[in-house]
Amino acid sequence: MLTRLRVAGSWLRRRANDVAVALMAIMFVSFLLQIGFRYLLNRPLGWTDEVTVLCWVWAILWCAAFVLADHDEIRFDIVHGLVSPRTQRVFAATSSIAIVVLFLISLPATWNYVTFMKREHTAYLHMRFDILYAVYVIFALAIVVRHAFLAWSAIKGARPEAGSMSDDPT
Amino acid sequence: MPSHFALCIIVLVVLAILGLPIGLAMIGASIFYLLLAGLDLGTAAEQILNGLFNSYVLLAVPLFILAAELMNSGSLTDRLLKFCLVLVGRFRGGLGHVNVVANIIFAGMSGSAIADAVGIGKVIIGMMTRNGNYPVAYAGAITASAAVIGPIIPPSIPMVIYALVSDTSIGFLFLGGVIPGLLLGVAFMITNTVISRRRNYPVEPPVPMREIPRITVDALPALMLPVVLLFGIYGGVMTPTEGAAAAAAYALLASTLIYRSMTWRQLYNVLLGSARATTSVGMLIAGALVFNYVVTIENVPLSVQHFINGFHLTPLAYLLLVNAILLALGCLLEGSTILLVIVPILIPTAKALGIDAVHFGVVVVVNIMIGLLTPPFGLLLFVVANMTKQPLMAVVREAVPFIAMAVVVLATITMVPETVLWLPRAMGYKG
Repeated sequence: MLTRLRVAGSWLRRRANDVAVALMAIMFVSFLLQIGFRYLLNRPLGWTDEVTVLCWVWAILWCAAFVLADHDEIRFDIVHGLVSPRTQRVFAATSSIAIVVLFLISLPATWNYVTFMKREHTAYLHMRFDILYAVYVIFALAIVVRHAFLAWSAIKGARPEAGSMSDDPT
Repeated sequence: MPSHFALCIIVLVVLAILGLPIGLAMIGASIFYLLLAGLDLGTAAEQILNGLFNSYVLLAVPLFILAAELMNSGSLTDRLLKFCLVLVGRFRGGLGHVNVVANIIFAGMSGSAIADAVGIGKVIIGMMTRNGNYPVAYAGAITASAAVIGPIIPPSIPMVIYALVSDTSIGFLFLGGVIPGLLLGVAFMITNTVISRRRNYPVEPPVPMREIPRITVDALPALMLPVVLLFGIYGGVMTPTEGAAAAAAYALLASTLIYRSMTWRQLYNVLLGSARATTSVGMLIAGALVFNYVVTIENVPLSVQHFINGFHLTPLAYLLLVNAILLALGCLLEGSTILLVIVPILIPTAKALGIDAVHFGVVVVVNIMIGLLTPPFGLLLFVVANMTKQPLMAVVREAVPFIAMAVVVLATITMVPETVLWLPRAMGYKG
């Protein structure tokens, strides 16, 4: 049962990666089309602006929900690195529970905001904003589930992953 | 009873110290503030979504990351290094110079110091330490130091972020970084010369004359990229964001067609890698969007401005104060956090004192780059220490002369605004 879950989990993770790659690729290609049509063919496209921004918003929230590993995230780990593994677990459990509580409390208002946006449409493609913004709800739910799991494993005694920041692009 | 805002800051600091990702800690603390202040909790989602949706300039960030990853995965770096070897290999400490010059050229295509340190460092550290000619820690230290030039010479991811928080023209900011970046390059080469003479580091065997044309032709596609980018942006053909896309397309074409060193699998991994790196900084931006909303409704920048006005500082004294604050924070915090959270609070005072926004921006970015080199928390130090398997302190010790020289350059550009502003003004900047 556990192995089957693990197989399913890794399959899902790979599909989540595929979505992230597709979003980056679409963003990139739309930009090239935009430049090409405006400067080479002298026929500016309007929709590319929307598609690129859409991919950017979705890519960030989607990756934050499903693709980013714990060690990819930028954190302040000076104190974290100095304390004992036991204290690290207390740290992880406390902060994760705080995040779960705060995100859960704000979830109904978030849902209201996103569904409220159904009256608004984008300028060119007339896409409904509630559908575009739904990715935030997905993100919030994923954060709740992930941090509930992190808190649970910290309490149960699994060692949290050490932080690193090698992916910061500045 | 502390104010709601004070409690929000406490929650933010505590969550960050407990090890939560900083972006998430900012979102959490802001939700906490909204809760205390009795505001709509949906505001967090609203600020993040609208902020991301309306910050078109930020799209340059993923595209510059993509361009850098594409260049690193192709063989552009190798060819560029060979070319630099022809240029400066014959001087004392030749490979150290090659390292700096390669970083200067690479800086014209990449906007990220970390990407430069990884991309160039992978190859050059191996070259420098192959025969035990240079200590590994020295090779690491000069790699980390030279990498800070990347985001100072355009294009630059931190400058894109600064442009966003300060409403400054990206084009002029980019131009403002050119001379300070070159000054840093010269400063590092002087440092390398002095150290190499003292320790008797080797001179590279001269490259035979007949090989020079081939090596130059080989490197030409890589060398042309900065030219294409600059002409595109300053010739008015492209916005900086589109320039970033063009740079990525160029790097992709060069590595597939000319250098034939890209497979589909590699391309997939490059895209995934840039999605990851984009999200790392994107989550910080998301957190900063809602946290800065809280900061704004609390009128923090204005209060800071009133507070500092009380001291009657001259513009120069304020700039020096900002340098001191940012250098100190750079030892503890990571660059994007400082840019997104601290710098917006400092900008209104700079404006009120009549400090030019481009000058201020370049000074801030150079500060933040030096922060990448200062312990205990210097991202570039971690990257090269990890890459070379050296203890952090060994790299830090070797990096000290370079950090000192960088601070000298910082002081120069702070006190002589013309070093930053001459080029933008020559290109039509009215500041």
